[in-house]
Amino acid sequence: MRSRRLLEPITLIGLFLIALLGWIVAWPLVQMLRESLQAGAFSEVATGRLSSKLLWEPTINTVIIGGASALLAMMVGGCLAWLVTMSDVRGRLLLGILATIPFALPKFALALAWQTVFRNELVGSDRAGLLHQAGLPVPDWLAWGTVPCIVILAAHGSALAFLLISAALSSVGGDLHEAAELTGASRSRIGIAITLPTVMPALVAATLLNFAEGASNFSVPALLGTPVRLQTLSTRVFTSVETGNTERGFALALSLIVVASIALLVGQWIQRRRRSAVISGKGLRRGRVPLGRARLAMSVGAWAIAMCATVVPTALLILSSLQRRNGSMSEGLTLHYWIGDSDPDVDQGQSGILRNDVVVDAIVTTLWISAAVALIATLVGTFAALVIKRSPSNGTRTALSGLTFLPFLIPGVALGAVLIGQFGRDRGPIPALYGTPALLVLGGAISTLPFAAQSARASLAQVGDDLDEAAALTGSSLLRRLRSIVLPLIMRGLIVGAILAFIKMARDLDLVALLATPTTTTLSVVTYRYASESFTQLANATTVLIIATSIAVTLLARRLEGKASPWNS
Amino acid sequence: MISQTSRLAVGAVVFALLCTACGNNGSDTASDASVATAPPAPSVTEVAEPAAETTAAATEETAAPPTEETATADPTATSAIDPALIAAAEAEGTVTVYSFTSRIARVEEAFEAAFPKIDLVGVDISSTEQITRIKAEVDAGNVEADVAYIADAPVVLTDLVTGGYLEQYVPVTAAEALPDEFEGPLVAHRLSTKVLMYNEEAYPDGSPVTNLWALTTEEWKGKVVLVDPLQRGDYLDLFTQIAIADAEMAAAYEAQFGEPIADASGAGERWIEAMLANEPVLTDDTDNVNAAVGALGQQAPPVGITSYSDRRDNEDEGWALQVATGVEPAPGIAYPALLGTLKGASHPAAAQLFIEFMFGDGSSTGGPAYEPFYVAGDYATRSDIEPHPDAISLEDLGAWVIDPVEIAAARADVADLILLNL
Repeated sequence: MRSRRLLEPITLIGLFLIALLGWIVAWPLVQMLRESLQAGAFSEVATGRLSSKLLWEPTINTVIIGGASALLAMMVGGCLAWLVTMSDVRGRLLLGILATIPFALPKFALALAWQTVFRNELVGSDRAGLLHQAGLPVPDWLAWGTVPCIVILAAHGSALAFLLISAALSSVGGDLHEAAELTGASRSRIGIAITLPTVMPALVAATLLNFAEGASNFSVPALLGTPVRLQTLSTRVFTSVETGNTERGFALALSLIVVASIALLVGQWIQRRRRSAVISGKGLRRGRVPLGRARLAMSVGAWAIAMCATVVPTALLILSSLQRRNGSMSEGLTLHYWIGDSDPDVDQGQSGILRNDVVVDAIVTTLWISAAVALIATLVGTFAALVIKRSPSNGTRTALSGLTFLPFLIPGVALGAVLIGQFGRDRGPIPALYGTPALLVLGGAISTLPFAAQSARASLAQVGDDLDEAAALTGSSLLRRLRSIVLPLIMRGLIVGAILAFIKMARDLDLVALLATPTTTTLSVVTYRYASESFTQLANATTVLIIATSIAVTLLARRLEGKASPWNS
Repeated sequence: MISQTSRLAVGAVVFALLCTACGNNGSDTASDASVATAPPAPSVTEVAEPAAETTAAATEETAAPPTEETATADPTATSAIDPALIAAAEAEGTVTVYSFTSRIARVEEAFEAAFPKIDLVGVDISSTEQITRIKAEVDAGNVEADVAYIADAPVVLTDLVTGGYLEQYVPVTAAEALPDEFEGPLVAHRLSTKVLMYNEEAYPDGSPVTNLWALTTEEWKGKVVLVDPLQRGDYLDLFTQIAIADAEMAAAYEAQFGEPIADASGAGERWIEAMLANEPVLTDDTDNVNAAVGALGQQAPPVGITSYSDRRDNEDEGWALQVATGVEPAPGIAYPALLGTLKGASHPAAAQLFIEFMFGDGSSTGGPAYEPFYVAGDYATRSDIEPHPDAISLEDLGAWVIDPVEIAAARADVADLILLNL
């Protein structure tokens, strides 16, 4: 039974969010659609003589890469999450930290780690990897193309899956498990019948987000796919826009959105089939599952994954920032690029990044912008998730699901252009935001909304309605019930969403490039500047700084989370 | 332990090299600026037409005809510039520049040293992003930038100039030294190249390729490295230039194979098909091209298409890159980087002053203002700035200087041709 009093504010909030997101998220899509239609780009893309090269083959590759990397990431991240939160695997705490880091790593760092081992001589023998140098021939399919793209995107996405799934797992009370054990259920039976359904919303959310991330990624297929002519929808979007055929790029981007929407519908269908609301208030503290004889093997496996996906890429990045001469160990290592004074012979007199005021300012800028973005995205995402869960209107739920999932599939160029168009001048009560940091924060919040919203939806799906309804019957207001009942139960998931949004924003370059103001020089902008001047060590050192910032924020957030959700200790 | 360390070391090397690659990726980097505007004489009229209005307006209001004799010879950076313009710019107090190259940071230092009362705000964003931003800003009536320093001339001239978003300003102090074809529709600041390069250590007797058609033969099968021309506008410009140079390509065909080509009117397109069928190695980034072609110690390395100016990294990177000269009909293209003022800019005088400043002080190296751009393999459009002593002249190089308007008209079709043949 639903309380009538609950419905009204939910409906209002729902309508407000649809209006807001419709204005900011749907409008770019409408504009893209209009421009593509006007130019006849759709028929050209879908039916012309180019269509198989332009649309169909890339679509198949996109589905394969996005789908396989998302499933692999879900499995790897899920296993790690289970081991860290539920078992007595060795080195749990450190493993738990390491497993979150790949999300903060730039994908190129992971790609480079791959190439360090597997690159063959297809593009020159000069940079071939360890296997090739050891005299082992590496086939093209292993060095380039679909397989490495899937592995790298999965490694990156495993951190996101780990965060979402471990948040879900640690919200599961021990009472259910104990009840099951008392009735004599085997451990695998418990896993399938109890653990899996309770984390199903998190599995779906992680898979959807990773699918969208994998399908829309450009840099990995460009880096590893170009030599073997691998094309995805995102590389086709990028190349069309880059070579001036914007309408065609938009038509292809809309195709990518169609593909992702199908994934979203499948995800919703899976979630609707299972009701997974199983946490209700204070659960028993559950014990850890002893791994017994498998403990050593499991520990080794988990640590091997963490090493490959986190430690090695990070170490390579740090090492390269220490090389006196870019790419060469023979001339030794130096801390010059970190703490050195300006030397006119090195990189046009750039001082080490920690002595450069621009970089130090950029750290502060990155922190506050990303924090503001994470806060707003989490706020909007949480309310959207509430509406999606509680709204009686099917249309409202579907509209909000779509509007909160699609933003990071909209090409940065299109989103940026529309934001400038809409906020470039005063509109009634809304002042011209363009040229102020506010628009960058707004744009960032929109583009990171999928993380916050999916994360909040996954946590909310675990929460039963019974407590809330009980409270409603006693006359508590919606706000009060949210604050004292729902919020504490989903806090862990919300913090995960905020962390993901923060890190995504700290790394972002597309949106920053379009909406930046002179006062919003973030670390990613600094990295871009160094890289485009070929100051590789400085660029890599700055990238390490972004990673360090992200990790520090993650750790801080987890500490806060311990205080914020006492029930889930 | 030792073996682990050395593995890591090797890994780091590969990694770091690749980082350089990544750094360049997706951006119009300093070394491979991309734009194109230098129409050869015959097409000048055609080029000038769409911009005629803006040109007239700009020159009328700002620039007295360049009669000052001192303009091209004054050794001090700024004294040739109209004091009224300087005063007006100083009253505005600030100028915001969108730049496709990070070298804007060095220009900023020099500019603020010359004009301490004016704050230069350099925003370092790619040409593609500039195009989006400029259009959106002007349409919204909230123009943040005053000047664009931008590549990708075929798109800029068709989209931004004919649409009235960017306006021409010809610097008074450089006008005399600036050949007509570089004055409009937007003034060209310098030329960059995408040309055939080879490894001079492995081929000490000069370029192993002396005809573009040689790249379609068995000898160079799988041994030509370049960036995917659909990923980068400057490479697409090169292919487009070849596609429209049918007569020259037909003559080169005959020189290479000793018989005339069957389809002389489509010679350029036939070259594209044959070249792409010859299994060229495509990468996402010029740094990979440079390393594959240039790395020292290679036996029979491939040739590649990249920027002549990247040769300046030979020593730092351990390369032996050298530009191919004497190639029939041309080793590649030279294309411009453009300067224009934004329509409705809030600091119009400072914008013009900045463009004046960018063209240097009239000395043979351009002085401190031009210094960030005075590199071997990039060519000043100002005829009184001498070619860098370490590079051959543009004439000796023999590259096509592209006409962006002509390229723009053919580019989409050439892109589709490439798409079908990859």
